[in-house]
Amino acid sequence: MSDKKENRAQIAIEKFIEFTDGEVASFFEACVHCGECAEACHFHLNTGGAKYTPTWKLEPMRRSYERHLAPLSGIKRALGLVPPEVDEAMLTEWEPLVYDSCNMCARCTLVCPMGLDIAGTIRKMREGFSAAGFVPEGLERAADFVRKTTSPMGITLKALTAQVRRVEKETGIEIHIDKRGAEYMATFSSMEVMGYPEVIAAYARLFKRAGVDWTISSKAYEATNVGVQIGSGPFAREIVARVVEAAEELEVKYLISPECGHAYGAVRWAGPNMMGRQFKFEVVHIVELLDRLRREGRIPVGRRDGRRMTLHDPCQIIRRGGLLREPRRLMADSCADFVEMKGAGVTNFCCGGGGGVSANPRAHDLQDAAFDSKQAQLDAIEGLEAVVVPCANCRSVFEDGLEAREMELEVLGLSELLADTLADLEAEDA
Amino acid sequence: MRQRLPFIFSEILPPEARFFAEKSPPPLAGARTARLFALLALLTALIFTLAPAPLLAQSSVRPPGNAVTFPDAPEPGPANTLGTRSDAEIWDMIRGGSPRDPGVIFAPTPEGALMTTTGQQWRVLRERYIRKYAGWAPLAVIVLIALFHLIRGPMRLKEGRSGKTLPRFTLTARVAHWFMAVVFILLAISGLVILLGRVLIAPYLGREVNSALTSAAMQGHNLFGPLFILALFWLFVKFVAGNFFHPHDLKWIFRLGGLFGHHVSSRKFNFGEKTWFWLVVLVGAVIAASGVLMLFPWLTDDLRFLQLATVLHVLGAVLLISIAIGHIYVGTIGMEGSLDSMLKGEVDESWAREHHDIWYEQITGKKAHPETPKMKQEGAP
Amino acid sequence: MSFLAFVEGPLFYIAAAVFLLGAAWKILGLIRLGRRPDLAPPRGSAAWGFVRGNLRHFVPRGIFTRRTWLHIVAGYSFHIALAVLVFFGAFHIAFIERLTGLSWQALPRWGFIVAAEIAFAGLIVLWVRRISDPVMRQITRAEDHASTILTFLVMLTGCLALQESHASLRAIHMLFVDIWLLYFPFSRLMHAFTFVLSRGHSGATYGRKGINL
Repeated sequence: MSDKKENRAQIAIEKFIEFTDGEVASFFEACVHCGECAEACHFHLNTGGAKYTPTWKLEPMRRSYERHLAPLSGIKRALGLVPPEVDEAMLTEWEPLVYDSCNMCARCTLVCPMGLDIAGTIRKMREGFSAAGFVPEGLERAADFVRKTTSPMGITLKALTAQVRRVEKETGIEIHIDKRGAEYMATFSSMEVMGYPEVIAAYARLFKRAGVDWTISSKAYEATNVGVQIGSGPFAREIVARVVEAAEELEVKYLISPECGHAYGAVRWAGPNMMGRQFKFEVVHIVELLDRLRREGRIPVGRRDGRRMTLHDPCQIIRRGGLLREPRRLMADSCADFVEMKGAGVTNFCCGGGGGVSANPRAHDLQDAAFDSKQAQLDAIEGLEAVVVPCANCRSVFEDGLEAREMELEVLGLSELLADTLADLEAEDA
Repeated sequence: MRQRLPFIFSEILPPEARFFAEKSPPPLAGARTARLFALLALLTALIFTLAPAPLLAQSSVRPPGNAVTFPDAPEPGPANTLGTRSDAEIWDMIRGGSPRDPGVIFAPTPEGALMTTTGQQWRVLRERYIRKYAGWAPLAVIVLIALFHLIRGPMRLKEGRSGKTLPRFTLTARVAHWFMAVVFILLAISGLVILLGRVLIAPYLGREVNSALTSAAMQGHNLFGPLFILALFWLFVKFVAGNFFHPHDLKWIFRLGGLFGHHVSSRKFNFGEKTWFWLVVLVGAVIAASGVLMLFPWLTDDLRFLQLATVLHVLGAVLLISIAIGHIYVGTIGMEGSLDSMLKGEVDESWAREHHDIWYEQITGKKAHPETPKMKQEGAP
Repeated sequence: MSFLAFVEGPLFYIAAAVFLLGAAWKILGLIRLGRRPDLAPPRGSAAWGFVRGNLRHFVPRGIFTRRTWLHIVAGYSFHIALAVLVFFGAFHIAFIERLTGLSWQALPRWGFIVAAEIAFAGLIVLWVRRISDPVMRQITRAEDHASTILTFLVMLTGCLALQESHASLRAIHMLFVDIWLLYFPFSRLMHAFTFVLSRGHSGATYGRKGINL
């Protein structure tokens, strides 16, 4: 029994060490424990809990590094000055901190005088937790669904096809599945297929207007990657590989990553490293693609939406994805009364549900508390009528948060907003 | 003795000498100003009572024969110079009056005087009285607190900790407090070395050690002095709200702050805390002003100000150090739950109910003592 | 050999050697731990990101300053004033000249005093913040206090020797300088060098994605 226990902690420690490269080590060495990161973290700001200080969440990994890996640690060990070994009790205590109270949103990096990428380090640290079996139940269940159906919400190919057929009927536009040699292959997040099928309709309408040749793969329609959220490299690789292989099989030039934060990071930035090679196609985010098409003149500026709108910045697309200007250019062309939130752009607040938190029911109260920061941003804009949220996961978090607060505010995706501006043109064509 | 004090106040001190004492309080309206001035007057009285008392005590005793009784007094004048006149009369002429005459003690240069002797008075006061007795005050406070702690014991929370907390001080307020605390302790230690090194260090560790320590202490004291002024301003701004006196405080005074078991109601700050705040601010201002004068002596051409400055500086400092010891005691081991407010910014609800019940009611809207009739609620001071 | 000669001579040379070798060993060790190659097609330059990240984090972002101004003011006051003290104090320049023959313009005495005031005020605020805030109490470790207090003692003993009247005071200052140098490579004080790496790594990671955090 105790042997097994030691083994679990040992597994985690070995993973911590494995994932501590020069980057993470320099973070541990440079952190002076100044506590500024707490001032950027919506979990700390809205609960006051000192344990939610971002750098504190790294403690088990930092401890393993200082004990086993740090340069000059040999001298410290001889003097008995290294920290104690990480044990199972510590991992149990830290599991909620690592999974429930971190969206890997990287806002803390902005305020950190030393520029620590705590979000990226939490991602690496979760490798240790998941390898040792310290994973929240909600994420485990999502992983089970993925193993069975490729979708964390359990959406089967049959369900997808039914949705696609319904959209075809609604829009009168044909959508090809498994069209070999198409230029683009679109993927979706389960939330879009199940909750917001209007996104598929928007794709169809926009791509028809732009003359984009696109398809959906029957083998890999799911873009989300629960492996990345849990922090399991092998599992994440398995999910990415399915998409990559399907895209290469269909010989597409571009893979479209949907309005979903972590899905973009998983395939665009982490994907090639997980696969150990570059892809035979280019990964584009849907917002990036629409912006490209707009600038090429392939999607005309239609009738602007007159409502007072603002834009949420999904962390994994903006701050950690690098698409800062693209959504703003699209917004400027699509709505007549666009107002930025306070702190918009790189410094925007996370919705509170990213990084697997929204899939983890245990974290529900924390997520809801974290949404207070978002609510304050929204409340500060007078006469706000709608908020554009280009991430399906953020979008569902918004809907939950707004409902809990009884706030009347429409939440919509960026592709839908864009597609709706074309309504007049479509009517003319008809 | 006592009757002469008002006279000293109004007549002896030149108007300039009262300058900083009257100017130091911030401009405030109406009753507050009046209260402030009253306290200020009390305080100034306290300091001046302590300051010239030994001096006057000496001068009121008429010594036989030779007028100067201090052993450190100047050598007698040359013999037989003015025939029938006594040495004392000759020296009185040189001084421009009798050394027992306050006019001579405090005047810049008395009419017809050939020399001033205030420096000598000052030196005697400093060496024979202040240096000798100043160290006893903090020591006495320590002994008293130790006795209190042994006999009465620390004040425990009657209901124990509730686990629920209330916010009491913001981070900047806490940092302002601890900044002052650190600077105060550094200044207190270096100041006591300068003051008492000759008495407490030199005889035991030798003059060489005392010389080095005093040199070091003086450099440190001069360096941290300006930080004290910064700390004082910061502390004042952060804590002045809630520290104005209120008629309610009388109850606290009558019950001696609940030190001996009676329950006392209070708002955010009780009378003891308020008094400590104003003592720090006002005596601190006196210490700061006199310190500046010592750092930059060329600011005045009148040596009496410099002499007065050193006296006020040390008396004010000894007073604050003595009370600070009590403050530290109550803030740490003396009263359960007090330290939380300065370490975390939050206090336990039980602590708030027991020690600051009106404040508790003001910020929570709940009754502090459900079994007793509801406290009279008034607007915040 | 007098105590002063010892702390200014052999002990100083040993401490300086430990400082230089230890710091170099640590930095090289961190570089040697390497960085995983990134195969994702870049949108921006990692190298430029390394530089930009280092520069960007010198400037606090406005949106956080309402909550962090105290730390920013104290931090900058302390670090700048300390650098001025170390490199422009007349005694320090004289000491460096004795060792290396190099010399430059020193601060006037009043300038040194003003810098010392600022440095002490900054360091004291940074330290008391550690003891008076739940977040800081949570994340502060003994080594943070050790580094802070040791630096404080070096500064304090230096300023206590300002009268330049006693060799013993100077020797005590040098003793603390030596201890500080010996402790440096093993402590949080290493942040004086490692900040370049940590800001640079993050800068490179995000620079590659075309963003400057």
